[in-house]
Amino acid sequence: MNVNATFFAELLAFSIFIFITYRYLWPSFSSILDSRREEISKGLEAASESQKKLEEAEDASRKMIEDAKNEASSLINQAGSRGDQIVEEAKTQATEEQLKIKSAAEADIEQNVTKAKENLKQEVSSLVLAGAAKILEKEVDAESNKQIIDDLIKEL
Amino acid sequence: MAEKNVIDPSNASDLTPTSDYISHHLTNLTYGWCEKSESWGFAYHQQTIFPESPCKVSEMGFWAFHVDTIFMSSILGVIFFGFFGLAIRAAKTGVPGKIQNFAEYVFEFISNAVSSNFHGSSKIIGPLAFTSCVWILAWNLMDLLPVELTNFAGAAGSGFDYFKVLPTADVNAPLALALVVMFFVTYYTIANHGLGGFLKEFINPIELVGYFSKHVALALRLYGNLFAGEMIFILIGIMFGQFLMSFGQTLWFFPGLIMNLAWALFHILIIALQAYIFMMLTIAYINLACAKH
Repeated sequence: MNVNATFFAELLAFSIFIFITYRYLWPSFSSILDSRREEISKGLEAASESQKKLEEAEDASRKMIEDAKNEASSLINQAGSRGDQIVEEAKTQATEEQLKIKSAAEADIEQNVTKAKENLKQEVSSLVLAGAAKILEKEVDAESNKQIIDDLIKEL
Repeated sequence: MAEKNVIDPSNASDLTPTSDYISHHLTNLTYGWCEKSESWGFAYHQQTIFPESPCKVSEMGFWAFHVDTIFMSSILGVIFFGFFGLAIRAAKTGVPGKIQNFAEYVFEFISNAVSSNFHGSSKIIGPLAFTSCVWILAWNLMDLLPVELTNFAGAAGSGFDYFKVLPTADVNAPLALALVVMFFVTYYTIANHGLGGFLKEFINPIELVGYFSKHVALALRLYGNLFAGEMIFILIGIMFGQFLMSFGQTLWFFPGLIMNLAWALFHILIIALQAYIFMMLTIAYINLACAKH
């Protein structure tokens, strides 16, 4: 143990190093670590936020898929019922058409029958006239006997 | 082995080789005021580069400087604090590199030690703890250099036959640190409790002894541990050196190597621990000075 003036030199050196640390090293280390801490906390916050967003997006997409599924099934159902409806419609339409055609044909037939009847009547009336004329051997005035003929025709 | 290098021809007559070996290892390279020649100069026969004075180290008084201690402590400070300075200069707030990571780890370690043990408000305590811990650790690491290194350097013609690389084993260096700690303890006591509060502590005069011995003990604890560690390295060196000389078997080199290694491994613990203890006690003392009674 030998205490001497070295002590003062060491005192000076220590003071200088403390000053350097106090002035430069300590503040810059503090500031860099503080800013890093801030950055990390920001990053963590952003991470949790994006996690939340991701969950939200997942929920939304799940919901979308469900909606789409529902929509698709309802569309399918709708399409099925629409198809049925179309078929039904077509059927009724066809039936109607059939009925229409049938009735038209019936009307036609009726008309033809009536016409034929009318013709037949004319024919018959003329035949009756001719026959009567033959029987009476003289001209039957159609005009004067019209009443009788008509009555005859009506009886046919 | 090493013994051959250390025998100083100037006083070989009045010293046995062993005690000369020890005293050689424990003597600092000294530059001081010589009463005999009334001049400044390096102590007698310590080096061959600079002019020397006729005084031996023991003949120099208070006005002497241990050049090796001052040089080593300063250069270690420049290297270590320079390392931290460079690390912080290249630092970025993003993902740190390896060097920056290490520097930040050391800083955070000390910063945590301060914040968990110091409850007052002080701007100097952090830098004080950082400086003392890092600097003392840098000093103590020199203890792991082989004790013969400077002898070999002297023998190899460096010109310096005496050169202690371990500043902690020179009591002046720890004492200077402890005085700075004492200064801050006193400063914070007066700042927090007033001059009256500071003086009131010494109503019982025995407290005055305690006040000084606390800080002297802080220095001597550090000094004693490292001095003893150095001493054991020297003793191991002597023991196996003696075996080597007595029996002439170079085989003695190996047990010496193993014992040195074992002690060095254990000593790594002491090196770090003493730096840590000094820092923690500094924080504790200043915390006490700031504490409300």
